[in-house]
Parts: sequence; C-alpha cells; structure tokens
Amino acid sequence: MTVVSSKKIIILAVLIVIIGGLAFFLYQPKKIDYNTQVKPILNKNCISCHGGVKQKAGFSLLFREEALANTESGRPAILPGNPDESELIRRITVSDPEERMPYKHAPLAKSEISILKQWIKEGAQWGEHWAYLPVENEPIPTSSNKWIRNNIDQFIFQKLKNENLSPSTEADKATLLRRVSLDLIGMPPNNSLIKNFLQSTSTNAYEQLVDSLLASPAYGEKWTTLWLDLARFADTRGFEADRRRSIWKYRDWVINAFNNDKPYDRFITEQIAGDLMPDPNDALYIATAFHRNTMTNDEGGTENEEYRTAAVVDRVNTTWSGLMGTTFNCVQCHSHPYDPFKHEEYYKFLAFFNNSRDEDTQAEYPLLRQYKTEDSIKLREVVKWVNQNVSEQKSKEYYKFLKTWQPTINSLQCDQFVNGALISSWYAGLRNNGTCRLKNVVLNKKSQVMYRYNTKHDGGNWLIYLDSLGGKLLKAVPLQNTKGSWKVAVSNIPETDGKRVLYFKYHNPGIKSPDENGVVFEWFQFGENFPGKEKPGFDSTFKYFNDLLYADVETTPIMIENNAEQFRESNVFIRGSWLEKGPKVTPGVPHILNPLPAGAPKNRLGLAMWLTDKKNPLVARTMVNRLWEQLFGTGLVETLEDMGTQGSAPSHKELLDYLSYKFMNEYQWSIKKLVKEIVLSATYRQDSKVNENLLQKDPANKWYARGPRIRLTAEQLRDQTLAVSNLLNDTMYGKSVMPYQPEGIWRSPYNGDKWVVSTGGNQYRRSLYTYLKRTAPFPSMITFDGGAREVCIIRRIRTNTPLQALNTLNDSSYIIMARNFAINIRQNAGKDPSAQIKRGYEWMFYKPITTNKLNALIQLYQTAFNKFSKDKNATNEMLGGDSRNANPETAAMVVVANALFNLDEWVNKN
Amino acid sequence: MTQQDLHNQRLLKEAEQKVMHQHTRRHFIKESAMGLGALALGSMFGSCGNSSSSTTANLFDAANPLAPKAPMFPGKAKSVIFIHMAGAPSQLELFSYKPELAKLDGLECPQSLLEGKKFAFIRGVPKMLGPQANFRQHGQSGTWMSDYLPHLSTMVDDMAIINSVTTEQFNHAPAQLLMHTGSARLGRPSMGSWVTYGLGSENKNLPGFVVLTSGGNNPDAGKSVWGSGFLPSVYQGVQCRSEGDPVLFIKDPAGMDRDLRKASIDAINKVNQQQYEEYKDPEILSRIAQYEMAYKMQISVPDVMNINDEPAAMHEMYGTSPGEASFANNILLARKLVEKGVRFVQLFDWGWDMHGDSSGNAVNIGLVNKCRKVDKPITALLLDLKQRGLLDETLVVWGAEFGRTPMRENREGKEMLFKGRDHHAEAFTIWMAGGGIKGGVTYGETDEIGYSVVSGKTEVYDIQATILNQLGFNHEQFTYESQGRPFRLTDVSGKVITDILA
Repeated sequence: MTVVSSKKIIILAVLIVIIGGLAFFLYQPKKIDYNTQVKPILNKNCISCHGGVKQKAGFSLLFREEALANTESGRPAILPGNPDESELIRRITVSDPEERMPYKHAPLAKSEISILKQWIKEGAQWGEHWAYLPVENEPIPTSSNKWIRNNIDQFIFQKLKNENLSPSTEADKATLLRRVSLDLIGMPPNNSLIKNFLQSTSTNAYEQLVDSLLASPAYGEKWTTLWLDLARFADTRGFEADRRRSIWKYRDWVINAFNNDKPYDRFITEQIAGDLMPDPNDALYIATAFHRNTMTNDEGGTENEEYRTAAVVDRVNTTWSGLMGTTFNCVQCHSHPYDPFKHEEYYKFLAFFNNSRDEDTQAEYPLLRQYKTEDSIKLREVVKWVNQNVSEQKSKEYYKFLKTWQPTINSLQCDQFVNGALISSWYAGLRNNGTCRLKNVVLNKKSQVMYRYNTKHDGGNWLIYLDSLGGKLLKAVPLQNTKGSWKVAVSNIPETDGKRVLYFKYHNPGIKSPDENGVVFEWFQFGENFPGKEKPGFDSTFKYFNDLLYADVETTPIMIENNAEQFRESNVFIRGSWLEKGPKVTPGVPHILNPLPAGAPKNRLGLAMWLTDKKNPLVARTMVNRLWEQLFGTGLVETLEDMGTQGSAPSHKELLDYLSYKFMNEYQWSIKKLVKEIVLSATYRQDSKVNENLLQKDPANKWYARGPRIRLTAEQLRDQTLAVSNLLNDTMYGKSVMPYQPEGIWRSPYNGDKWVVSTGGNQYRRSLYTYLKRTAPFPSMITFDGGAREVCIIRRIRTNTPLQALNTLNDSSYIIMARNFAINIRQNAGKDPSAQIKRGYEWMFYKPITTNKLNALIQLYQTAFNKFSKDKNATNEMLGGDSRNANPETAAMVVVANALFNLDEWVNKN
Repeated sequence: MTQQDLHNQRLLKEAEQKVMHQHTRRHFIKESAMGLGALALGSMFGSCGNSSSSTTANLFDAANPLAPKAPMFPGKAKSVIFIHMAGAPSQLELFSYKPELAKLDGLECPQSLLEGKKFAFIRGVPKMLGPQANFRQHGQSGTWMSDYLPHLSTMVDDMAIINSVTTEQFNHAPAQLLMHTGSARLGRPSMGSWVTYGLGSENKNLPGFVVLTSGGNNPDAGKSVWGSGFLPSVYQGVQCRSEGDPVLFIKDPAGMDRDLRKASIDAINKVNQQQYEEYKDPEILSRIAQYEMAYKMQISVPDVMNINDEPAAMHEMYGTSPGEASFANNILLARKLVEKGVRFVQLFDWGWDMHGDSSGNAVNIGLVNKCRKVDKPITALLLDLKQRGLLDETLVVWGAEFGRTPMRENREGKEMLFKGRDHHAEAFTIWMAGGGIKGGVTYGETDEIGYSVVSGKTEVYDIQATILNQLGFNHEQFTYESQGRPFRLTDVSGKVITDILA
C-alpha cells in the first residue's frame, strides 16, 4: 500500500514539475529580476533556515558569495547557469519528504520553481535592494495635463494613468484652509489668516497662506510632536519606579529647530554629536539629549552596566529605525535574517555610541548645569581669568567641568566591598573600617582629589591606599560632617604615576554600631590643583569656582564623550548577550552602505557626517517618507519603520527619490521648503470625496486619486478644540504641564508621585506640553493612538474605537471646552439659536452648514432646551456651577457644542 | 562522594542523553515521514488559490463591523476566556510532575544543558532546583497536580493539560506578543481581534473583545497584546477596570441624562450620515457605529461590571469582594461577560515572575500566595460555567508566555536569597477546558527534569490553531489581506492538537 501511494506521489509531483517548467519556459520572455521576483520567494520560503539567523547545512542565501560557496556537503548548492545540476533546484523538486525543501512545509508553487530555475540559468545574479542604493535624481515625467501644478503631480499623474484612474479636482477653499492649517501648525489658523485667505481672489492666496503658516511659531510646535515620538521623549525615566526626569529643554530645542528651519543635516548632527562640535554652547549640549531620552532603571539592585548597555543598544536601534527606516535590531543577536547586515556590523555601529559618559546612575549624570544670571557672570569670570592667566586649553577644561561636572568617576565603579556596599546600586557606602576598590585610576600629574560625598558623622577619615589594602597609604583625608547633605570637597594628594588600583578605607572610631553607614560617595575626580595660584586675582577666581560648585542650577541630561582615561572598549555580544563578549570591534558602518566620509573621526561626530553624507541612501528617503506620511496619512513606503526587503514596496519610488534628491541638494535639507512643495501640489489639494468606483479600485488611496482624509492625532484634536473654544493658552516652552485627567491613572510601585492639575491657564496649553509618564500616559493621548514613548515610536497606527467617542463626549476637559464655546457663540453669534449654531459651525469649518446638518442640531438644541427649562439643577450642573450663565439656553447650547466637537468632520481633516 | 550522589549523577546523565536522542532530526523524521508526505500532496493540489489572493476578500463590513458572522464550520465553542498569568508561573511547581528532579536538587547543572543556550538571568553554572510542591494524582483520570492548587485539582477530569508547550521567546514582552499575536514584534492583530473579526459580536451593547487586568500592572508588552494590528480598529480589545469607572469616561457629564445623551448621539450620527453621503468614506460609517456602541456601552458596561448584586453564595464560591481590583473579581466578570455574548475575554494577572530575588518572588513562597489568589476563582469559573450549561460552549484557556527552568536562578552567577527559577522557553504548561476539549487528558511529555519536550511538542501556533479550530476556523484559511498579502494568526505554522479534542 504505502509503496504504491509513494510512487503515485512521485509520478504526480514529477509530472507537475515538468509541465509547470515547460509552460514556464515557453512563456518567459523577460530576464528575471532578483529584487521583485526571486528575493520574495527566498524570503518567504528559505531564509528562515538558510539566512542570517540559521545557516542549515552550511547554506545561506543572504549574500551571493555565501550562496555560491561550498555547503557542508562539500559542493555549492547553486551552480550559476546550470539549474539542472544545482542542488537547490533538486531539493525543491524532489519528492522524498525527508529531502524536499522547504523542509516540513508546503512545496514551492510551480511558478516559483520556474522563476528560481530561470534565475539560476541566467547566472543567479543578486540585486541590491532599492533602499540601499544611492538616491537618484529621477527624470520628471512630462505630461501636459492641466491638473498638474508641480513636479510631484507629474509623478502622481503618471501612476494614476497606469492604474486607469484620474485625479480629483481641488477641494473647496474652506476645506483646504482647515486641512493645511492642521497639517502645518496643528491647529486652526488665526482670524486674520482666515479672513485674508477666504476673501482673497489672488491666484497666490493659497501660497501666501502656506507661507504664513510656515512662518508661524505654532509650526514648530506641530512638527515637534513627530520628532518627540522618534526621540522617545518623555518626562519620566521608565521601568518600575518611573521617576521624573527634567529634560523638557530638549523639547524646546526641537521646537526652535523646526521654527528656524534648521537644515536637517545640521539638525541630526547636533543631536547625535553636539557635544563633540567645537566649543559647544548650551543649545548644542541640549540637542544631544536626543539620545538621553533612553530609559534609566532606578530599581534597586539592578546591574548598572546592563542598563547602560540597554540604553546604548536603544540608541543604535533608534538611530536606525528613526533616522534610517531600517530594522537593525535583529542584527543585535545574529546577522539580519533578510537584509544584508552582518552580526558584527551591529557592534561596530554600537561602538560609535559606547563611549558616552552616562552609566545608568540615579542622578542621570552627565547633566548640563545651567546657572542663574549672577552665577553665569562668575562662570564667565573664571573662564576669562584662566584663559588670561593660564591657558586657553585650561579655560576650556574648567568651563566644561563647571557646566557638566565632567570628567568624573562615578562611585558605582567601586567594587570588592567589605563592610560596605554599593548602596541601591549607585553609591559607594562604607561603614567603620569598611573597604572597597576603585580600578583604573590614572594618577599621572594628579595633585588633588575632588569628591562629592555625604556623611552624618564627625571625625571620620578616608584612607586611600595604592595597589592593595596593605599598600602605600597615599592619603588620609579627614571627612567633615556634611550633616546628611551632599558636599563637594577637595584634598591634595602626593603626586604619583601610572594607571593604578586604589583601595579605600573609612575609619571612624566614633561609630559604635557595626551596621551604621559612615560615608557615602557619589563621584571622584583626580586632577590638578586650581591653577595660577601665584597670579593676581587667584583668590577671588578660586572663590567663584567654589561658589559655582554649589550654585543652584537647572539640569538636563546630555551626552559627553569619555576622555582617553575612561575609554571603553567595544565587543561583539555573542547572540546579543551583553555578558558574552566576543571579538573587539572599532566604530564602523555596514559594508553594504556608503563608507564613512574621508576624514570623518571614528566617533559620534563622524557618524553624524556619515548619516548626513549625500551618499547615505537611507537618511533623506526616511525623512521624506515620514513628512509625506504626516500629510497624507500613509508613507510612499507604507512601512515607515522598514524600508528593507521585508517592508512594503514603495508606491512611488521615483517620486520618493526625486523628493529625497531635491531635499538634499536644491533645498539644502530645508524641511520647510520640502513641506511647501508637497502642500502646494495639486495632489495634496485634491478633494477627499470618494465614490464607489474609486473606493473599489483604490480603497487605501495608494495612488492619490483623491485628497487625504485622515483622523487627527491626539494632539491636533485637543489643540484645535481648545483653540476654537477660546481656551488655548499659546504660551510656548517650559516645564511640562498637567491638564485634567481622571483619578487613579498614576500608579507606580515605589513612587508616591501624584498628578497635580496645573492652574493659571497651564491646563490649557498645547498638547505637546502635557506631562508624559511612561508607565501611565495621559489617557486621551493613548486613546487617540499616541504612545508611551518607552522606545522610539516609528509610526502611529490610527484606530477608530468607542473609547474615543466616550473620551470626546464625556471627558470633563471636553465639557469645559464645550461650555466656553457655547457661551461664546451665544454672546457673539446672533440672537436666535439657529443663527448661533450656524455661526459656531462656521467658526469651526469656515463654511456654511448644510440645512440637513443644521436641522439635526437645532432639533438637539430644542430637546435640550425643553429639558433644562424644567430642570434647574441639571442646568446648573451643565454649566459647572457658573451661575451667571446657568440658564436653559446656554445649557442647551453646551449640549450642541459637545455634539459639534464630536462630529466626524471635526475629528478628521477632510 | 556518597552512593546517593553517584546515583543522582547517573540520573542527570541519563536525562541528558534522552534529550539528545529525542532531539535528533532523523528520529523525528521517522516518526512523521508519512504524515508529511500526505500533507505535502494535499497542499499541492488544494492550495492553488494561495497565490491568487485577490479571491480572498476581507470580511469587513464597515457599516456593521460587529454583526455576528458564521464561522467556516460549526465550532464547538462560542466564546473564549483566556487567563494569562503574566510573568510566567513555574510549570514544575504546578502541573509538570518531576520526581527525578527532586533527587537532583542542589547539584550543579551539567554543562551540556547550558551550551548554546541563553537565559534571561542565569549566568555561569546554576544548580538544579527540585520541585517545591507536593504532587498527587487526582480525579478518575489520575491526573498529577500539585498541592499549590487544591481547588483546581478537583477539576482535572474537565481539563486537558498540555505539558509540552514551547515558545521562541524568553523575554516577557516579546513572548507575550508571540502568544497573543503570532509574532514577537509589534503590529500584528491579537487573537481576540481575529476572533471578533471572524465572528462578530453576539451582544451589540458590549465590545466583542474585553480585556481585564489585575495584579497591579498591565502585562509587560503593554496594550499591544490586545491591539488590532492591521485589522480594522473596531476589533481591538477594550480594557475594563474593576474599580473606579469601569471604562474611562463612561459616565455622562453632570446635567446630562440618558435621554439627552441619546438625543445628542442621534444628532451627531445624523450629521455624520450627511457627511458620509457627501464623502462616501467608509470610516465615517465606522465612526457612526462606534458612537452607537459607545452609547450602549454606557449602560451595559457599568451593568455587567457591577458584581454587587451577585448572590452571597457566588461571592463565597469565587472569593470575590465587590469594589476591589482583584483577579477573583475579574474571573467572575469574565463569566458574566461570556454569558452576555462577549466573544473573547482576555485576563492578565501580573506578578508571576518568580525569580527568587525576594520572598514574594520565590517559587516556594510568593508562588504559593499567588496560587491562593487564583485557585479558588478559576475553579469556581469552571464549576459555574458548568452549572449554567456554558462550559460546553466556552473555551477556557490558562497559560503564560513561557515556563521556568529546572535550574535555580543564579543572577549574576551568585546564589540568590530565595528560591527562584529563570525564564524557560523550551517547555511549559498550558491547559484548556470546555469548548469541545476532552477532559482528564494530560498531553505531551518533557524529559525527567522538565527541561525539554520529548513528545507531543506543542508550539504557540498550535495553541492558537486549536483555539481557532474550536471556534470553527481553519487557521490556515482564516486570513486577512494586508500590504498585498494574506496574513493569518498562525503565520506559516500551527497544527490543531487533535489529541485533546472531545
């Protein structure tokens, strides 16, 4: 029985293959294209066992040189030009299930087998994936269709023609006004812009409107949201305790960058490597907070090196997914399963980021220290004096130290504690006669130790030994009682040399209890005495210097590079584990992409030069794709997160390249110019109405035969409602604020922090200023698809849920907005409710309401009015205790306003 | 070395050899060669439609996205309660009886079990940790279960316990994503979304897919484990809270009664309908449906979430106390929800990650306490469903994202203060009951120390395939077209575990 049926199977299978193959060869006119025909088959069926992760039987299909190499069998599986002798073809066609590939899965389709055969016959050439090839200056199609306004439309029109579709006409002025305002400034335009645009008959009116919006400071606030998602900006540190972090100055830096149209290459460079640029000022330091938005683990007992490493890994992944639209994180554990990135290349790339000074400390060092005015003057004096009396080099060092407290050695580097411990995993703490070790301290020319410490005891001594506990006593430092607060102190030490191991001992016979902590250290700095002792003005300068150590400062976490003494080696992590270190690596970029530019240093600055090199195929394309997605709802490559071979294919590759090329060259990386070109296109200005035919042909509007109609973001929705109800407080910048949210949202273990609703108008600030706690984000932000920003949010996926309806219907914030709007239209929009509703609608949409819509709302008004006329209590409640306005008319209008704020056309841009 | 030590060493060696032997590929192929051949042929002829995917239209009616729909074939189950113990409890203390492991307690783990393996926290050479619980046989089936779950062990004859589940992920968030979305990366629809998409909802006034969390935290993977991925967003899970407002903003504003809210939503929808006539965007219809649903939810959610009116006997049986955010309350709510026609109730209880870093996280202390909080309610759920005649049509699934190691965790290579086990992807337990599942079954085996599966290897995809099967779906044909290709919950894997079907 079995024999017979097996034979049948074989005969059938062979027949199918032969027939399929024949049919294929007869009808195959064109040369096989690797990217579109072969790679998808390999990705789907073969790569999971024969790719970057696994290379079963010694065979991998990722790179051509691997695929043509000898396998474990001693022979190659692919013989270019000779499909019939190629083991690969034999194994996908053989009938024995133990041999047939893909193993344990359905066999390839006949057509797929034919493609692979023909491809091998034609020489088995590999093709480079489009996104890894340089950006081309695409020739612009030259249609003369009247619909076309600019070059974007040429590309769009060409595809529409291919798809047998025709574009829509321009949307009406009112719709366009609202659409472009929400897109460019994230909220409604101001009254004069509205008036100018609607009344103008100039053919230039739309362009003038666009220019005014681009020049508005609200433009920067709108586009900052996009960047904060990528930068994973939040007001807390994440993980279990999720404590506060003061990093809002970075948010303000981004707003200014967008408003000043900082060229994108410069924008990236400052964020990646501002600290490494010559003489960094505060703004450059703050820009580097981009990569300090990584999470810090404050949970006691965690391994600092583990979370330092996690932050570095996150920086690598964010740089790739955020700036280069590539899922690089797979390469952390193994070579990329689908894309041509090798395991080692991940760690070469990581090495760029592995020498920053941060170490998952509780204080989140290094921090930029920003002084108040009078202290700034002292700082300037110190720097000037050192420059004049010592050297320029020294003055720069002192400036850096006073601004950042770097370089210093965190006490968490101490180990080998006896009668002491690393307290909560951050601070070296010693009890009486307790000891610990500090390795790798360079002591050449070091004449003093500066240290930050805390002790509640008199009479303690800190004994520093060289090389071992029995070694030479370098210094016995008497420790003044700081009465439980942190102090910085200095002690001279005799000069010695070399990179040495130090042993510390705390001695204080006054402490009787063996369990009592004697001293806690936070950091050390081994350095030289303050210079210029013999020079005039030394005393006052030195005093200023000491004052500044204790000055009241605002701080922001920033990037600072390790100096030579603290240089960290980088290694491959075996299978991605930070504890299993493999071969040493130095900074480098994947071989498949552009090389590091000539003369680029092998640090973050060099990395920034590589990213912004016009030869980099990913950076410009990724940003163009992202900006397009902001305006149209979908990217030209739908998967913003992945332009690799597993991502979606671009719908308009030529247009993407045309815009990317122009962005880098003609526009010199100006985002405003690029955005302007897009919103001026006829493509963008189209009406968004759709009909059944079009809906069937192009449900997702992939070919742009109509304008974008998409739901507003959480921020846009709240901001436009605040604006139209006249509550918006347009104050820019500053600490994050806390608008109303329901009780019981914040619930972090080990953290009693509370949400305290902001007052004085701060509860009505634009949404990008809303405080974001990672483990408990602002509810309406999450309901409308914002994220917790624990890691880079590459794309917000829009949803449409009943919870969103409940939010805008019932959230007290929305009721307050409805009240204000109702009172406004009753006061300023005519006498009778019908006129008021009409006018209110026009304030929202800049166009008259249709009769049917008006009737529905008047009916609602009447129902509400009748009810409130009979119910004083409900009337009062509807007005929230505002007795001046507590009448049935206003209460009924609040209900109508509440309905208006829930209209589909309000929640969407049309 | 004592006689006993020698004996133990031999045991370990044998366990090791068994694992190696069972895992050689040749052995596996011999077992299943015939089956594979038949399968291959079947798909050769049967799946011609695979490439011409344009014929597989998506089942989405924007005007009425939650209308009840018939499955592909009559399923045994109408709804699912998936109880996920987030953090992953130890199978070795609950269901997987390993007397041999007890004998190895305290011995160093042989290098061969560690080579090429990666653990979340174990470093260097850990020691073996014997089972901390006592096991006994229960019921007519004689199923082994530990004394950590004294109530549940009375239900063994209704349960199919799968001791041979394996996963690909050993970190919480990705493993939870894999379990619930079929992918360890973000962006795929969750199982509950698939089910609601395929079956719609039988109750127009409640979401088809409800999520209840307890234990003080959301699951590690966050709300993505109940997200709708590329499916229309109406199918995402709706999180309900068992204290405060059951759903945020569910209460009408002060001064607005139900009639007025009704009038207001009617007006909104009338205007939106006008907007639809003009724009023909199906998303507008979807929004109209969402507003109707929101209105109904305002009544039905507080109603169904209110357990005050349950009889005292029910509270006694479930161990519930109204007003608390507890697992017991959530379990009782789950019963109420499926009774009302909710398709998929997803429970997450946080706090099962027993690493041994504190007493609360010790497999012999914290785990016992956690079990106490869930044992009675889960048992009550099975009994209650049974007495209401609902167990036959309700599939109850209990599980987690992975299992725990037979070795004792030694974080940073150091002995820990308490007894804990590290994350383990290679073998863990999931059980199912009701909804056409055979009772009294123990399926699949691991080796003598519970390290690796030796028979009945069950992938996460197989669990998903079985759940879909019980609801009336062939998991290979239940697809959704997205980005130009059909996707399915089980990706390219999954087979129904036929041995546990009634």
